[in-house]
Amino acid sequence: MLDAIVTVVENRPLSGGHFVLSVRSPCQAQAARPGQFAMIRLLGHADVLLRRPMSIYDVRPGRNGNQAQPEPQVLDFLYKVVGRGTALMATLKPGDRVGLLAPLGHGFFAEDYLAEARGGDEVLHVAGGIGIAALLLPARELAAAGVKQRLFFGGRTHADLVGVDEFSPYVSETALATEDGSLGHHGYVTAPLSSYLEAQPGKRLLILACGPWAMLEATVSLARRYGQRCLVSMENRMGCALGVCLGCSIRVQGEGHGSYERVCTEGPVFWSEHVVWGEERLPKT
Amino acid sequence: MANGKVQIANVVHEPRTPNPEPQNRQSAIANRQSPTSEFAPGIDVTIAGVRFQNPVLTASGTFGYGQEFANIIDLNRLGGICVKGISADPMPGNPPPRIYETESGMLNAIGLQNVGAKRFLQEKLPFLRTLKARCVVNVFGYSTEDYVRCLETLNTGDGIDAYELNISCPNTRCGGIVYGSDPKLTEEVVTASKRAARFPLFVKLSPNVTDITVFARAAQEGGADALTLVNTFVGMAIDVETRTPRISNVTAGLSGPAIKPLALRLVHQAARAVHIPIIGIGGIASPEDALEFLIAGACAVQVGTANFYAPDTPIRVAEGIEDYCRRQRIHLDQLVGSLKLPLSDPSRVAEH
Ligand SMILES: Cc1cc2nc3c(=O)[nH]c(=O)nc-3n(C[C@H](O)[C@H](O)[C@H](O)COP(=O)(O)OP(=O)(O)OC[C@H]3O[C@@H](n4cnc5c(N)ncnc54)[C@H](O)[C@@H]3O)c2cc1C
Ligand SMILES: Cc1cc2nc3c(=O)[nH]c(=O)nc-3n(C[C@H](O)[C@H](O)[C@H](O)COP(=O)(O)O)c2cc1C
Ligand code: FES
Repeated sequence: MLDAIVTVVENRPLSGGHFVLSVRSPCQAQAARPGQFAMIRLLGHADVLLRRPMSIYDVRPGRNGNQAQPEPQVLDFLYKVVGRGTALMATLKPGDRVGLLAPLGHGFFAEDYLAEARGGDEVLHVAGGIGIAALLLPARELAAAGVKQRLFFGGRTHADLVGVDEFSPYVSETALATEDGSLGHHGYVTAPLSSYLEAQPGKRLLILACGPWAMLEATVSLARRYGQRCLVSMENRMGCALGVCLGCSIRVQGEGHGSYERVCTEGPVFWSEHVVWGEERLPKT
Repeated sequence: MANGKVQIANVVHEPRTPNPEPQNRQSAIANRQSPTSEFAPGIDVTIAGVRFQNPVLTASGTFGYGQEFANIIDLNRLGGICVKGISADPMPGNPPPRIYETESGMLNAIGLQNVGAKRFLQEKLPFLRTLKARCVVNVFGYSTEDYVRCLETLNTGDGIDAYELNISCPNTRCGGIVYGSDPKLTEEVVTASKRAARFPLFVKLSPNVTDITVFARAAQEGGADALTLVNTFVGMAIDVETRTPRISNVTAGLSGPAIKPLALRLVHQAARAVHIPIIGIGGIASPEDALEFLIAGACAVQVGTANFYAPDTPIRVAEGIEDYCRRQRIHLDQLVGSLKLPLSDPSRVAEH
């Protein structure tokens, strides 16, 4: 983990108030693992104090002058404008500087996750809205490991379903859902997920899910019903992402830190059965 | 600092010559520098016999147990580290959401989640002991017995330089706030804690009181070696769409640059009411912020919320204080309490 001031190389608008912010930082790009995140600090804005947590969407090779460099040089962040901080992010231009604390947290494949994926029949990615940003790097790593994959992706409307093309090389099939019915299934993404799980008796599946609390909760209860294991990438407000403010704690099973664990340090990826669902909802953005 | 303590009381009765000329202080500084060299200000400070290499500490709850920042900043350049509040027994803390960002500040209601005194000694103190930064252990409890029990456990620890008694956390339902908002209870818990404590005792006061000088004096009466001012201001925020509080605890403590002018006023007032040293805290994010507190009468400062978004702040602040002293050709102890008040200011009148 490194705390650096880095340079914006691109800030590309997509549909529905989404952007991809690209920054150059070879050390951080090379250290990043699938499922990890970064804290972005907007410099010179004393009224937007705290850094903003963002999943590491992608890491890419870059160029140094005319020289193409094969090692990752650039980090991409896929984000949606939802408030003051992200609105300021949207005004960043190539050459601007931002503070970048990265990479942070336990990613998807820090421990036994990859073994679990390899040992099963298929990995199902379940993304709600901007949650898709946490899943691209794991999808690429799993594809490289020869794992069969499928994407279930839901949003409020068609403009929320960004980044599907980037995913398509790694998944055999994609099911889309929108709450307004403007694209794919009309309703929640958990409906196509439920039908799929229903049609796969005897298969061993691993679900990787990232999205709003309600979607995660519904996904986890489906996983439980069909006896499949599920990894969730959680979001919570973050003060420091260094493990010291304890602002990001969520309730978990057992004794860990007095039954709370920090999303920034013990997470953001948890086995779904470790998280206590139900009574304590996390805030919506 | 020649006599080991910053004499803040002097400011009340006979204000020191503001900004004294260095040549008038020649005898005092002769032993610190040769007359030909560049002026090297002394920015170390000794509080209750504990020498801090510079007057900048990190605030409790914003710096963990120090080790979390070891890869980001040079911990040996800090004056001191105040660790997350420790209680006799481990505490689980409040349900989420626990924090919310406001304009130039943040609300928190963590609920004093901590590992407890025993695990602190086993798991956290050995690392802190290796640093040049002084280790100040923040302590809280729900009853006088809790405070005493926690101190007795911590007393066995090797490498603790001082205690900071938190009688002011606004985020636990029956917690320290009761002590912090009743001068009698303040004096009672400080007296009992002072008796139990093997190391110097700093007392951290709540800003959520009508008259800070009453509480500052009560803590002094109880035997506090120094005061830390201030903890967070109680506040709240509401999500108007859902008409629900932004924080599960409903009310929460406000910190960050937003509170600096409020905290500064309290330090200014308390410094004129007591003779024990004061450590100033509240919204410090730059050397200039810290200088304001020092000039108002704090002999040291703590940096809190700024650690979250700019962990190099305490080191930058210490460097900035040194630069300022060099430029002004004064030592830190000449700066402390050097506020030039207008002759008509009522706070020039002693409040004793
Ligand atoms: C591990 C993690 C990964 C994330 N990855 C992405 C991503 O890849 N793309 C993306 O668009 N968003 C992501 N988010 C959510 C993103 O951090 C918030 O949308 C963003 O902080 C909102 O900031 P704002 O100033 O625009 O909103 P405001 O509502 O003005 O923010 C107020 C405060 O609340 C915090 N906050 C608000 N919503 C969230 C939230 N959902 N999660 C965390 N903090 C929040 C902010 O940090 C800020 O301190 C992620 C969150 C986490 C915890
Ligand atoms: C997340 C958080 C946790 C805190 N925890 C403690 C604590 O355990 N004990 C304590 O005495 N103060 C605690 N504080 C208060 C700070 O030490 C400090 O007094 C306050 O934040 C004001 O300083 P600042 O504006 O520089 O942050 C906490 C503050 C924050 C923001
Ligand atoms: S964000 Fe501060 S502990 Fe996780």
